[in-house]
Amino acid sequence: MYNLFQFFLRYYLFLLFVSLEIFCFYLIFQNKHYNEVAYMNVANSVSGKVYSTYTGVSDYLYLRRFSDSLVDENAKLRAQLLDSKYNSKIDSGILRDSTLKNVQQYSFISARVIHNSVNEAANLIYLDRGRLQGIGKQMGVINANGIVGQVVAVTDNYSAAMSVLSKEFKVSAKFKKNEFFGNLHWDGVNSTTASMEDIPKHVPVKVGDTLVTSGFSQLFPRNIMVGRVKSVTMEPDKNFLEITVNLSTNFGSLSYVYVVNNLKKQEILLLDSLAH
Amino acid sequence: MLNQIPLNIFRLAVLLLAQILIFSNLNFSSFVNPYIFPLFVLLLPFETPRWVLMFIGLLSGLLLDYFIGSTGMHAAAGLLIGYMRPFLINVITPKGTEFEISPNVYAQGITWFIVYLGITMFIYLTLYFFVEAATFLNFFFMLLKIFLSTIVSVIFMLVFLFLFSSKKKRRFV
Repeated sequence: MYNLFQFFLRYYLFLLFVSLEIFCFYLIFQNKHYNEVAYMNVANSVSGKVYSTYTGVSDYLYLRRFSDSLVDENAKLRAQLLDSKYNSKIDSGILRDSTLKNVQQYSFISARVIHNSVNEAANLIYLDRGRLQGIGKQMGVINANGIVGQVVAVTDNYSAAMSVLSKEFKVSAKFKKNEFFGNLHWDGVNSTTASMEDIPKHVPVKVGDTLVTSGFSQLFPRNIMVGRVKSVTMEPDKNFLEITVNLSTNFGSLSYVYVVNNLKKQEILLLDSLAH
Repeated sequence: MLNQIPLNIFRLAVLLLAQILIFSNLNFSSFVNPYIFPLFVLLLPFETPRWVLMFIGLLSGLLLDYFIGSTGMHAAAGLLIGYMRPFLINVITPKGTEFEISPNVYAQGITWFIVYLGITMFIYLTLYFFVEAATFLNFFFMLLKIFLSTIVSVIFMLVFLFLFSSKKKRRFV
């Protein structure tokens, strides 16, 4: 007993150190997977306030760039107005049921990015909109240039999204020209590129081909821009092509984003559960 | 000794704001990820007991984690440098050196500081980046990232030290 006591007295600093490190690693691995607990504290009031104050200041410095991108986006939206399209179906007369016209599947909530990172192993984006403004977990996030990420935690007025630049993030994407689809995920090294998986070798892929979202996952609508093929290699011992994609979104300069609310999500999930 | 407490609280606030608002937003490249926040633990008075250093390392790390969203990672690394700081200072300081109250770049000299900050930041960032990636894949990418981030962190820390250190010699009473 005396020896044990002596031992503790002698090495108490080391034992304290080891037990505190164990406590830290417990915290780390507890929160390793994107669960709500880990990001609640980030999205909550104190740090949320600090980040939104800072963003308020920095917004003044970048007003020019923001307004340029808003003008660009307005132009794109104007092009999509019904007025600016020629309606060729005006006399086709097949669909007469008015409930089937203009059924809205997606609505968009605009949000401002209050914190952003591109250099971590899992990059998070914090938005100044939360549950009270209609944002929920598992909603997709896009901006004018392409896909941005997926909401992983929500508080009343803030939310956190993991960006495409996270190892856990996967999205179903397809080639615009021939509809072949696969999974896109980040390779963890460069903040401008990602890799495309599950594309069989017989698919003709050229550098510069456009990739868009497939709409198979409930995160994004169809045909949202993802990126362009940067390089294609064919490894003899593998069944699939190795494709590197230049992402169309510039993650280093996100300012405003849109959170995608899929209004038919519950119905599709119900269908999914019925089918299995 | 008493006026060390407000001084260190002020330093904590400045370093924390500089870290989360400037250095974590720099986005040089994926290889360079500078951290100047650990300077807080490294500049605590020489006489601080070891267990206090460890707890301050842990708690200040948790504070940074709270803002960055990396629960526990900076705490683990901060605790480690708090634990090994007394060892390291013993090893790199020549015998018979007269100490001031806390490490000061004008008292210890720039060479001493480069060695001190270089070694601690290398250890800090090695632990942090490997825990963050949770894998030993991409070993050379990691090593390069640690080396480059250490160098850039130390440079920024030295800039901070030259900006905010007092030139006045405060002899230890």
